[in-house]
Amino acid sequence: MAPEVSLATTAPRRTFAHFPWPLALIVLSICALGIWNLASASRSAHAPVWIAQAWWMGGGVLVALVVLAFDHRRFQRISWVFYGVVIVLLLLVFVKGRTVMGARRWIGVGPVNIQPSELAKLAVLMALSSWFHWDSERRKEPMGLLGIAVPLAITFLPAVLILKQPDLGTALIVVAIGCTMLLFARVRWRTLAVLGGVALGGALLAYPNLKPYQKKRVETFLNPEGDALGAGYHAMQSKIAVGSGQGLGKGWAQGTQSYLSFLPEQHTDFIFSVWAEEHGFAGCLLLLLLYFGLIAVAVDIAGNARDRFGHFLAVGVTAMLFWQTVINIGMVTGVLPVVGVTLPLMSYGGSSVIAIFVGIGLLANVGMRRFVN
Amino acid sequence: MSLIPPSAPGVVQREFRTRLAWATVVVVGAFLVLLGRLYQLQILRGDEYKEKADENFVKELRVPADRGQILDRRGKVLVDSRPSYDVTLTPAFCGKQCDEILSRLATLLALAPEEIERAQGLLAGAKKLERFRPFTVKVDVKREELDVIEANGMDLPGVDVLPTPHRSYRYAGLGGHLIGYMNEVGGEELKRLNEELARTASPQGNYQLGDYVGRRGLERRFERDLRGVDGKKRVAVDAKGREKEGDLIAEENRLVPARPGHNLVLSLDWRLQELAEKTFPATAGVVLAMDAKTGFLLALVDRPAPDPNKMSGRITSAELARIRDDPLQPELFRAIQQHYHPGSTFKAVTSIAALEEGIFKPTSTVFCPGHFTMGAARWRCDKESGHGVVDFTHALGASCDVFFYQAGALLGADGIAKWGRRLGLGAPTGFDVAGEVPGVIPDAAWHDARIPGGYQRGMAVNLAIGQGDVNVTPMQQLVFYGGLATGVIWKPQVVLRVEDADGTVLQEFAPQERGRTEIKPSTRETVLKGLLAAVNEPYGTAFLSRLDGVTMAGKTGTAQVVKIGAHRLKAEQMGYFQRDHAWFAAFAPADDPQIVVVVLNEHSGFGSSNAAPTAAALVKAYFEIKAQDEAERAGAPAPRPAPPPAPEQKAAPPGRADRPKLGALPRPEARHGA
Repeated sequence: MAPEVSLATTAPRRTFAHFPWPLALIVLSICALGIWNLASASRSAHAPVWIAQAWWMGGGVLVALVVLAFDHRRFQRISWVFYGVVIVLLLLVFVKGRTVMGARRWIGVGPVNIQPSELAKLAVLMALSSWFHWDSERRKEPMGLLGIAVPLAITFLPAVLILKQPDLGTALIVVAIGCTMLLFARVRWRTLAVLGGVALGGALLAYPNLKPYQKKRVETFLNPEGDALGAGYHAMQSKIAVGSGQGLGKGWAQGTQSYLSFLPEQHTDFIFSVWAEEHGFAGCLLLLLLYFGLIAVAVDIAGNARDRFGHFLAVGVTAMLFWQTVINIGMVTGVLPVVGVTLPLMSYGGSSVIAIFVGIGLLANVGMRRFVN
Repeated sequence: MSLIPPSAPGVVQREFRTRLAWATVVVVGAFLVLLGRLYQLQILRGDEYKEKADENFVKELRVPADRGQILDRRGKVLVDSRPSYDVTLTPAFCGKQCDEILSRLATLLALAPEEIERAQGLLAGAKKLERFRPFTVKVDVKREELDVIEANGMDLPGVDVLPTPHRSYRYAGLGGHLIGYMNEVGGEELKRLNEELARTASPQGNYQLGDYVGRRGLERRFERDLRGVDGKKRVAVDAKGREKEGDLIAEENRLVPARPGHNLVLSLDWRLQELAEKTFPATAGVVLAMDAKTGFLLALVDRPAPDPNKMSGRITSAELARIRDDPLQPELFRAIQQHYHPGSTFKAVTSIAALEEGIFKPTSTVFCPGHFTMGAARWRCDKESGHGVVDFTHALGASCDVFFYQAGALLGADGIAKWGRRLGLGAPTGFDVAGEVPGVIPDAAWHDARIPGGYQRGMAVNLAIGQGDVNVTPMQQLVFYGGLATGVIWKPQVVLRVEDADGTVLQEFAPQERGRTEIKPSTRETVLKGLLAAVNEPYGTAFLSRLDGVTMAGKTGTAQVVKIGAHRLKAEQMGYFQRDHAWFAAFAPADDPQIVVVVLNEHSGFGSSNAAPTAAALVKAYFEIKAQDEAERAGAPAPRPAPPPAPEQKAAPPGRADRPKLGALPRPEARHGA
């Protein structure tokens, strides 16, 4: 057993000397663009949602700082408690959740409505980090089918609950996080191959059981022009918004697609098309560079983590940021089918913002403490 | 509390190095794909999407052009347009609520069940892009209904009120058949019209479903002239089709003004027209007056005529069915579309044939015992007691049948037909309105081909007095009597010129001769004497309609519709449709004819009492009006106390003052101030 290390021996001054300034800078830049963009997107709505978003981001920064204050290794055991709480919340959604547009995703906690599925992403990545850390300390051989049973269970329990809400997008992200982390644990190649085969077969078998609107989305994705006024409408209008931005965009608050309500969910899932319409290819390039920088920093932190738990935490958060960004932009630009996934720090939504900031806090935490022993 | 011990430096990093390298490849790859996609959408296909985005919110509303007016020869407005408001619905903008909105419209506008059914059909039938095309729910809504719709605007997505100039026929059915009417264009017709527009590279926009198109008469014949060039109004709309304020569309692109259609100036003189309408007692019949020197019509009464204001889409199917089922056939343009026996008015043709063929000399006489026999057959004269010895003058003046039976028997059908055709009968007059029938001037071959048993000699006896199978239209009678009057067989015309909205003449129609009568002067003189006798001699059939100051020459006619039985009955004793048609054809003054008049009063009995008075009144009025106009033109005070016109006013064409400026139709914005 390694010697115990107490927090007291960690000199705060030394720790903060390693504060990941690039990460903070990139995150705050995206936040600023996000609020600015929301201010344009909410022109036609009655509520200026960008103000609320700014408050949420302020709160997010505080949460991230709190997360930063504790050594990430302290979260190892708390992970399980957090995971348990989130599962209970997810179950509670079914009992007393608020129904919006046919889906039960929110539960009221005091004055705010929270979306447990956003927290589930964090819960899964923390629980998996904890499990992989604990497991790989004692495992000599790479994991076989039996070995991956527990991590899969940890991933799919909340994923299935979220899918039932129904919220395909978030469930997909949870599974994507789980699978990415699994790839970073040591798994036999053969096992991975079997797993891949099962996933493909499962998808084909599950297709007939999807909700009609979900099926329609897949069909629409495969043939988007086929039904320009029906299910393909969102995909089509989003592409029109993005494409019509051309090189330099129409200018802030000059987008017609967003102003005239041709874009669906323009504050949340389709926020990127507002940005693309108004700021064009140049603006998109800037935003992509920022996201790429964010993920590059995250990958760097993962690669330099001092311990396995930290490593897995960083990988999990990286996976969350990466998949959400790529799936969201891919969907908005018509590369991927329409699924409800938010764009980190650009989309409006308190739970999403807080979840992302907790993730960022964990990342910074891992990054800051890589030289600590 | 125990914490995880840190791994030895480099251990974890080494363990994950390859995986992170793979992950980096995936991340870079994913971002490159996204960047490539954005490049494709925004840079490569940016223009295309920009266009689509603009199409998304730019809604083009049509600004319908004012249709050209129809004016009488003095510039009096007979037909123009008045503002009306149509309510339309765009399926794409009411979305799933369409049915609900339609039922609310039905309540607000008190739609008839058939109107609702039609709208439901259009809603259900609209697919894909058609859903963006508004269709008309109700035309010409009332003022109060308009206010209700505007007040509820926010709750009625997809509902628009479209200001549309609506055709206003100021004199309803007067001249109705000639002027025609408009109604909604049909599907097949739409395609044909648009192909024609494309072929002639017309600046006029395509016809669209729901558009009105000239249907009959001049409205149809001059459709292309009357129809203007529609303008466009571009407005920004949101995804629900609601108009958005703001400057999304540049000022100079918002409106392309409409160009009004051209005006038709007719040769009709509405003062004569109204007088003819007033003095003509018929339920059904025709009054035609023509300028003898040009062939242009001065008045055209044609009864019965449905109100074109109603026929232009304002009629219920029940009313329309009543018109269609009416035995009087109100939709028939009798002046050119109906065949009639000319009766005794045809005796002028028989006279000419007899004189020109040398069968009779101008001095020939015939004894009339009150009947005529040929073989076993016997024909009655109009006067049962007989006329005694009659010459041309007396025979035409008193309308003795026996004189002409004799002529017909000697001429045969071929002799009569030859001269009937030379005088312009048996062929369309060329009057430029669709649907003219040619008339029938039968010769022996005609009878052989159509009558069982073929041509019989006795048939010519009937033809000689305008019975049997001879058929003419009132317009042909007019042209023929015009030929008698002046020697010229005119192509009858009614449109003097086409002008643009500012009054600039675009096209002027000159008098057109179809031919000359080419008869001997002695023949003409002989016939003219007879026609003068008919009006001016005490024994003449139209003696009661003679005029002071003007010498009128004319001929009455009473065309039998059914075979006379053993006893001749009075008109009142017969059913309406068994009664004879009354004819009167005349021209005046006899020495230098200026006006030709033909009156046909259907099923009214005798020409002398039921057709001649109208003609006489018309001729009388014509000369009075002429004198009055001449007095005005000469600058002398007219009979009524008119202010002496200033010299510069004389230069202006007379009678133009009552003509409103075109384009004076209030624009939609103006109505709020009204």
